[in-house]
Amino acid sequence: MRDRVEDLALAGPGILLLALAFVLPIAEMLGLSILGTHRELTLEHFIRFLSDPYYLGIVWRTIYLSLLITAICAAIGFPLAYVMARIRPALRLWLIVLIILPLMTSVVVRTFGWMVLLGRGGLIPFTLWKLGFVGRNFTLMHTEAAIVIGMVQVLLPFTTLSILGVVMKIDRRLEEASRTMGAGFFATLRIVILPLAMPGILAGSLLAFTLSVSSFVTPSLLGGVRLPVVAASIYDAATKTLEWNFAAAQSVILLVGVLLALTPYIKLSGRRHG
Amino acid sequence: MATLELNQIVKSFGSVDVLHGISLSIESGQFVSLLGPSGCGKTTLLRIIAGLEAVTRGTLRIAGRDVTDVAPENRDIAMMFQSYALLPHMSVRENVRFPLRMRNRGTRKEQDERVQATLETVQLGHLADRMPRQLSGGQQQRVALARAIVSDPKILLLDEPLSNLDARLREDMQVELIELHRRLGLTTVFVTHDQEEALSLSDTVVLMNAGRIEQVGGPQEIYASPRTGFTSEFIGSANLIPVRVEETAAGPRATLPWGEVIAVAPGSKPSHKASLVLRQEDMKLLPSQTIIPNGFRATVETRVFLGARIRYVLRLGDMRIKCLAPGTDIFGPGDAVVVSVPDSRAQIIEA
Repeated sequence: MRDRVEDLALAGPGILLLALAFVLPIAEMLGLSILGTHRELTLEHFIRFLSDPYYLGIVWRTIYLSLLITAICAAIGFPLAYVMARIRPALRLWLIVLIILPLMTSVVVRTFGWMVLLGRGGLIPFTLWKLGFVGRNFTLMHTEAAIVIGMVQVLLPFTTLSILGVVMKIDRRLEEASRTMGAGFFATLRIVILPLAMPGILAGSLLAFTLSVSSFVTPSLLGGVRLPVVAASIYDAATKTLEWNFAAAQSVILLVGVLLALTPYIKLSGRRHG
Repeated sequence: MATLELNQIVKSFGSVDVLHGISLSIESGQFVSLLGPSGCGKTTLLRIIAGLEAVTRGTLRIAGRDVTDVAPENRDIAMMFQSYALLPHMSVRENVRFPLRMRNRGTRKEQDERVQATLETVQLGHLADRMPRQLSGGQQQRVALARAIVSDPKILLLDEPLSNLDARLREDMQVELIELHRRLGLTTVFVTHDQEEALSLSDTVVLMNAGRIEQVGGPQEIYASPRTGFTSEFIGSANLIPVRVEETAAGPRATLPWGEVIAVAPGSKPSHKASLVLRQEDMKLLPSQTIIPNGFRATVETRVFLGARIRYVLRLGDMRIKCLAPGTDIFGPGDAVVVSVPDSRAQIIEA
């Protein structure tokens, strides 16, 4: 009994802070989303969003771009994390610094960097053109490819570091045992390391997916107005058309979407941990 | 089952040499122990045989084939790790099937039968569907053993496989290892720092010290006739006493540092700088008035009761030696005793 009181007393300040910083705003948002123009309860904002092909298109773009970005981050992050886990500690430290370094500059600045690199005459299209891979000078700006490239660069550190934490804890002798049992390097990577790294890959992917679904700056700047994502649509509703209730409804839909994405992940990783 | 030949194996980590030219030839079907204190290079040598470490110089042959630069997965060996290294995400059955699956041995059905039969061999047939974490340490160890022998490897490598078990389980496993080896006849290399384990299990003991082979021989040979001070101290933790050996009409005699003279093993060569090897269990303590054919006087300094036996620390002049006596003779600290040593058990080695 005493323990429980003590626990509560210890957790109290934290719970209070969480309530003020998270529960209250979310409750406010939920409230706004179901209020009509004359302060009556209504689902009109949800119906408007979910019945308009324009908005459904935005949702679809957001989801598949996020899935693509997450998959690319995991596909690059896993081998990168494996290499980082297996090299000398001094070298690993440098790689970690190298990976974290971009996080220390603002996303806006980095995105502007990508705009320079991806635009017409920018380094990437220009090089591709000069090397003869494409027929003419072109721009990668305002394409979905640009969004994916920019977002992968933003999110890769999160995925890599989540996977690194798990791969570092995998006993090296498991790998050695696998090798002595006749599995080559790549077979060992696939059959031993990959499944054992799965909790990290799942956690990293989850992080990448949720950040990607709700990201605003990078997709808006690299994708432009013709390729809006959900976050941009919320921004427009809240700041341009001043439909706060509609913006709140979209936010609720985004939140529910992220929560839905979370459930299978939690189930999966829960099973892995037994 | 195959022969194993090591030829002048040198291993350096950076500027540190851990193996200084190890040459060793192991016959097919032998059970060989690599024995030595920690840091002597025995585990590194085992890892080199497994292919987990590259050699700096030297060559390695398994069944006559040069495998010096062959990857571990292509050496057709099996290794059992000290930590067992069971794959935690696979069931016992999948763990044991792993070597067969990776080497494409037989159909799925044949593999399953083989796995079941091997698990029965180590008395784990009923636990095939458990996950490794659901097993006790002893059971995990049996799984690791089953996994090592299932593919009938050319060489079986065991890296201190018994060191994580408690004393009782360990004795049981030793017996099982001997029986398994007799039944399967696998060429086995066993790393241990426990001299009793090495002596009781192996056909040949390879005693290593500081990256070199100190002595190679059968367990009896290496126990009875140590060639170096290190061997005699490490095997049976014998006492080494510096002596001068002279030949007399009655046979060789050794002068102890405090002046007493005792008869030593026939055939010992005269020398001014030799060491007398006295095993703890070869000495017999008797009350100080007893007349003995050969031996010396000493004073009991400490007594440590070990159950079946008692370890005495004896003081002789300014030296101390250790002695194991049956639990029945009780002397206390300060007692004067005579130490009886049969001359045949008083070995002389060159210092």
